[in-house]
Amino acid sequence: MLKRLAALLLAVIASMALLSYAGQRWKPEVLDSVVLHGEGSSFLYPQVQAWSEDIRSSYPWLVINYNPTGSGAGQSAFIKNVVDFAGSDPPLTGEAWARLRGSVVQLPVVIGMVAVVYNVPGVEGLRLDAEVLALIYRGEVEYWDDEAIARLNPGIRLPNERIIVVHRSDSSGTTQVFTLYLHKAAPDLWPQELVGKSPDWPVDYTGRGIGGKGNQGVTELVKKNLYSIGYVEYSYAVKEGLSIALLENREGEYVAPSPEAAQEAAKNALSNLPSSPDGDWSSGFDAVIYAPGRGSYPLTTWSFLLFYKEYPGPKAEAVRTFIEWINTEGQKSVVGGYVPIPEELRSINLKAVEMIRVAER
Amino acid sequence: MPDWRRVKDRIFTVATVLLALLAVAPLFHILATVAIRGGSAILRGGVSFFTDPPAYPGSEELGGVGPALLGTLWLGLATSLIGVPLALLTAVYMVEYRESKLARATRVFTSSLLEVPTVLIGMLVFLVVVVPMGRYSLAAGSIALAIVMLPYTVSYVERALDGVPRTYREAGYSIGMTRAQVVFQVVMGIASRGVAAGVLVGVAKVLSETAPLLFTIGSARGSYPTGPQSLLEPGDALPLLIFQFAQTPYSNWQDLAWGSALLLTLIILVIFTLLRLLFREVKL
Repeated sequence: MLKRLAALLLAVIASMALLSYAGQRWKPEVLDSVVLHGEGSSFLYPQVQAWSEDIRSSYPWLVINYNPTGSGAGQSAFIKNVVDFAGSDPPLTGEAWARLRGSVVQLPVVIGMVAVVYNVPGVEGLRLDAEVLALIYRGEVEYWDDEAIARLNPGIRLPNERIIVVHRSDSSGTTQVFTLYLHKAAPDLWPQELVGKSPDWPVDYTGRGIGGKGNQGVTELVKKNLYSIGYVEYSYAVKEGLSIALLENREGEYVAPSPEAAQEAAKNALSNLPSSPDGDWSSGFDAVIYAPGRGSYPLTTWSFLLFYKEYPGPKAEAVRTFIEWINTEGQKSVVGGYVPIPEELRSINLKAVEMIRVAER
Repeated sequence: MPDWRRVKDRIFTVATVLLALLAVAPLFHILATVAIRGGSAILRGGVSFFTDPPAYPGSEELGGVGPALLGTLWLGLATSLIGVPLALLTAVYMVEYRESKLARATRVFTSSLLEVPTVLIGMLVFLVVVVPMGRYSLAAGSIALAIVMLPYTVSYVERALDGVPRTYREAGYSIGMTRAQVVFQVVMGIASRGVAAGVLVGVAKVLSETAPLLFTIGSARGSYPTGPQSLLEPGDALPLLIFQFAQTPYSNWQDLAWGSALLLTLIILVIFTLLRLLFREVKL
């Protein structure tokens, strides 16, 4: 018995030694690295991961980890103090911000877009406005050649086919952006109750609504079903070559999603927002969707990184470096599908660098 | 004049075989897809698939799953260290003190633990371990996985210990052994294969678990665990990487997920092969 226990113990120690050796062998040679651990928005994840790669060429000692569990989980981990920073699509609510007052900074770091995609052969450059989209997702516009759609698209031959309406089946920030746009631009047709991460889609009761899991699921459903319509993150629409609809913005123009149109929306949204990263940004999610201004794309969104103002020891310097880098160099290398933030926003974000201090103990 | 009884018999046989094939077809489809797509990813990456961190999303390069592979191995080891003694002693108690109220309650609790969604176990560990520690860690993940492992290993080991005939125990007592000696030297010895099987089933089960890790280890995709002290730091694991990379639109990350799926399948396959070997010998 004792012999067996000893053998077991030996095996455990041997495997630990082997694993440690492999870990040290595989690890890139870096002295005195500082690790920053973040969590939150899965939309932001590929970008943060890419930045963590890029930043090493300038600051090899800085290791950034990020856990994409969702904006809600990220905010709660941030409030519970188990992470160094959080990523979130909506900023802190006014209430949460007031509780943490003075101890956090919130920076919109990257812009995203939601595209309305459709699968109707022979129809390119379809124009839609929020009212027609709301009617489609309510199930009240049933055919592609309905008067409501045809009115917006003179000169385009629309087929007399039933519309298959695709939405997300899982709880999703993309859905929240989409429904919030419908509500802001067509409040009579799309009431507040239908805004959210997984609303009760009226079109489902007509039997023509179907749900897909994730952006991938919606993309595949739209590709597979002729005469369907759906909404996905812009990068999925581009990657899969789906037809993208032009949407009416607040100024009455029909705009296709593009980096310039998204930056325009971000720039115009800033007028109603605080001019400092430690202000109350709680209306910041709302402001960028259906933003005013010529050339703004209405389904624009941005994602925030949340930092504390105080960090122990070397982490403070690491956070300062990270914030400064993502608002300068980092904006030059955004991943496909994201849009860099406009100059105006970068200069607001950079004010945060001065606010990060070493915690006094 | 056909013999109807024979025809009916034949129809029945054919139907059974077809239905059995239908049942295993999806499994083979999954295995084949994982082998083909994962195999080509691993071949493309070469050695660096096992050692490097993931490459930039959407780039031509693949990178690797080094931190996640190491993390999974560390998790397996640490989970066994926590979970196996716990499960063994629980099973021994349940068999030896079968009649006691506490043993009965333990049986009910361990078997109902099977029904608890594993994500809840992860959230519990988040509140009880991660928040007080102030950070995610591989150790927290191991604790969550050990809880997930418990009911599987306990029920296997309990059955194995139960199967040892009473006469062997009596023989042990008759030469003056204490209860502990009888349990650990006689019963465990005879049931050792069953016990080992229980441990392996438990380990195989938890190595492929994603949900308990979501809120416990923190997917630290850039940090290599370099020794036992790394258990107290955030880490990564293969199932978590598969889950998170498969949801992104970047094909190099999706390839990494496929490769990791193959890697994980192979690890599990090795464990189950060990299991089969153990069981075959029991029959002799």
